[in-house]
Amino acid sequence: MRAYKPKDDVQAKAYYTDRYYVAPQVPKQDVASDEVFAADLEAIKAKFEVKDAYIQVGQMVVYINPHDIYGVLELMRDELEYTQLSEMSAIDWIAKSNQFEIFYQTLSMTKRKRIRVKYFIENGQAVDSVEKLFRSADWAEREMYDMFGIEANGHPFMKRILMPYDWQGHPLLKTYPLEGDEFAAWYEVDKIYGKEARDIIGPELRDTARVDRYDSERFARLGFEVPKGTEITGDEERHVESYQEEGGVFLVRKFDKESSKVIDDPQR
Amino acid sequence: MAQVKNRLTPFFENITFDRDDNELILNFGPQHPSAHGQLRLMLHLQQEQIVKAHPDVGYLHRGMEKMAENMIYNEFMPTTDRMDYIASSSNNYGFALAVEKLIGLEVPRRAKVIRMMLLEINRLMSHLFWLATTALDIGAMTVFLFAFREREYLMDIIEGYCGARLTHAAIRIGGVPLDIQDTFISQLRTFLNKLPQNIKDYEDLLDTNRIWLMRMEEVGTISTEMALSWGCTGPMLRASGVAWDIRKEEPYELYDEVEFNVPYSDKGDNFARYRIYMEEMRESAKILYQTIEMYEKCVKDGQTELMAHAPKYISAPKLDIMTQNYSLMQHFVLVTQGMRPPVGEVYVATESPKGELGFYINSQGGPYPYRLKLRAPSFWHTGILTDLLPGHYIPDVVSIIGTTNIVFGEVDR
Amino acid sequence: MAQHKVNYTQDGGLPVALTSIDKIVNWGRSNSLWAMTYGLACCGIEMMAAGASRYDFDRFGTIFRASPRQSDVMIVAGTLTKKHAEFIKRLYDQMTEPRWVISMGSCANTGGMFNTYATVQGVDRIIPVDLYLPGCAPRPETLQYGVMLLQKKIRANKASNAQKAKRLM
Repeated sequence: MRAYKPKDDVQAKAYYTDRYYVAPQVPKQDVASDEVFAADLEAIKAKFEVKDAYIQVGQMVVYINPHDIYGVLELMRDELEYTQLSEMSAIDWIAKSNQFEIFYQTLSMTKRKRIRVKYFIENGQAVDSVEKLFRSADWAEREMYDMFGIEANGHPFMKRILMPYDWQGHPLLKTYPLEGDEFAAWYEVDKIYGKEARDIIGPELRDTARVDRYDSERFARLGFEVPKGTEITGDEERHVESYQEEGGVFLVRKFDKESSKVIDDPQR
Repeated sequence: MAQVKNRLTPFFENITFDRDDNELILNFGPQHPSAHGQLRLMLHLQQEQIVKAHPDVGYLHRGMEKMAENMIYNEFMPTTDRMDYIASSSNNYGFALAVEKLIGLEVPRRAKVIRMMLLEINRLMSHLFWLATTALDIGAMTVFLFAFREREYLMDIIEGYCGARLTHAAIRIGGVPLDIQDTFISQLRTFLNKLPQNIKDYEDLLDTNRIWLMRMEEVGTISTEMALSWGCTGPMLRASGVAWDIRKEEPYELYDEVEFNVPYSDKGDNFARYRIYMEEMRESAKILYQTIEMYEKCVKDGQTELMAHAPKYISAPKLDIMTQNYSLMQHFVLVTQGMRPPVGEVYVATESPKGELGFYINSQGGPYPYRLKLRAPSFWHTGILTDLLPGHYIPDVVSIIGTTNIVFGEVDR
Repeated sequence: MAQHKVNYTQDGGLPVALTSIDKIVNWGRSNSLWAMTYGLACCGIEMMAAGASRYDFDRFGTIFRASPRQSDVMIVAGTLTKKHAEFIKRLYDQMTEPRWVISMGSCANTGGMFNTYATVQGVDRIIPVDLYLPGCAPRPETLQYGVMLLQKKIRANKASNAQKAKRLM
């Protein structure tokens, strides 16, 4: 029987994990320790439900409900002066709880503070697009759809952005292998030459530790190379590759090592 | 050799001729002679004026974020090089700073000074490259050759430091691995002494040139609201009136100890961005002079440590590894298994030459990051072309793409 | 490099007898190789540096022409992604014969450090390559050396036959 490899997370795993290792946590601080963040959190709490909030590495993290995101970001942009959406994307927690965690990283230039707004959605649920508030969400949500398969309601152009339009599969999911599934492996061959060319061109060589017996022999035969496919007899002559033929080329100056000058300081 | 049979049909579906409203769709394909990489712009033209622009990116998407979920933190460092490949150390630095903040590590002072020197040299390299390619696109080939000559001097310095011209990997998590070589400061001084004259040469060639002014002024005007809404940062944002520079507002490294100005403008057109880049080159030179003094003071004070001392996460210096047994064992474990940062997440933004380069790392305590999101400024600067290009003419497209300083390693990752 | 079943080296690069017409035509072709800029990623920057002031390309007779119809050699510099593979085949087909391809850098040779779902593992899965330059990114001198080796190869072949790409120099 072959070994059972669980397919819900096919990323590389550490080959050794200590059973009793308890990972430390990055310290979280209470929101009350910073006045600006505390005031902002009160303003958000007044109108929307906040599930959790804390400060980590100098930035406040706020957990809200998925359907509140447009309202929260509108409040933050118009009243709390968080005028820029630096980034938004998703984290794949399907293996753990069949959920995605979406985060929005916002920046206030007048207050010099950053807030990260986060929420969880179920697998298959769509999010509300905030493209009307921040135009940068236009492309960020397209990238999230491309990489995770999470659609945004109300987005003007919900198509793939980084992968080709006819790609199947969402690459950043944990179930998608790094080297790509079978669709990915033959994509360019199928597209350009057709399925019949798969045998002629051959599969991709993904094994980074591959050692070819003849390659290593021939690398040892530096100076005695032969064209591919010919028999190695063992009595070839040594042939040093020079960049120009021995007799020189008509009207092309032949580089003469003796007559060249080495310049020490290029900035002279 | 004869044509190999393939399934690609001619691409005539992109050009429509008989439309009632005379609109032409032009494909500014993924390979074009301007030096910016693989941008595909589909432009809807109404007699040379653009009515709709649709940028299509993803032609250099190499899956870096997924690679990060399969590699240990130190192993991912050279991959960050290939994001903004013109100023590689800035990306290395952003990643190293993010991991250091996650761990809570303090980098020794000498390493900080060296890192600042590398960052500012990279900023100069990037701005010189920007100037060269933008001028080349507009037609000023002389400036291209001159700026590349200056860039070669800087690449010589960096090559003497870490061995590579373009993709450095010179900054590690916890500090820098190498001390600067003997000729670094003297070569840098020679270069900096000549730099003001060189910048003045470029300005003399370009600033009062009628063609340059016609191509640059009033073209590609980005209003403040559009810039803020699209997530523009760096020179794009500063040209639109917002004086936001992360080095001044959220200082990292030793940027709060050096004096420099942040140029900004409120016009928002190509010419404003051009002037900001030229002024930033002068400011970088100022910072570099100060960092040279800081380095010499470090040498005088006897601070020789280059990597932070945190045995759980960072390997010991090479001398210790080669002579002490525990250092060797710990180094072995850190290289094969990888360091395990605490559970948590961090978002760190640094001011790369292109804008705000951000790294979001979500760690679950394992040696591989659980999620790494790279926030690249050029991604949104390419997106803004959707809203910026309509109303301009075809030649303006080239100059606008030039001044937005897009590099596709970042956009597509 | 891809392990194709197509045998590229049917008449293997064994020494061929050249007439003087061949020699003159080859001399002309090799000394005026017009390169098509196919700078995709970081290697493209090194290619530009090879064409710039310090490592000048123009002294080899090489001018960077952007159009495939006017170029002889395509220098693929940078990572080829699966989204882009269709276009490189299209542009290669648009080049007029005789044409050669230099694959510059690890990403173009074999996919490089990007062993991922979106990278073509070697540009020779799509188009036949004449010269492989290793490096990440290869120095401009490497590109110059590669161009000179290509020139030598052009001079060694018969001028009239169509090109067949080879694996090892």
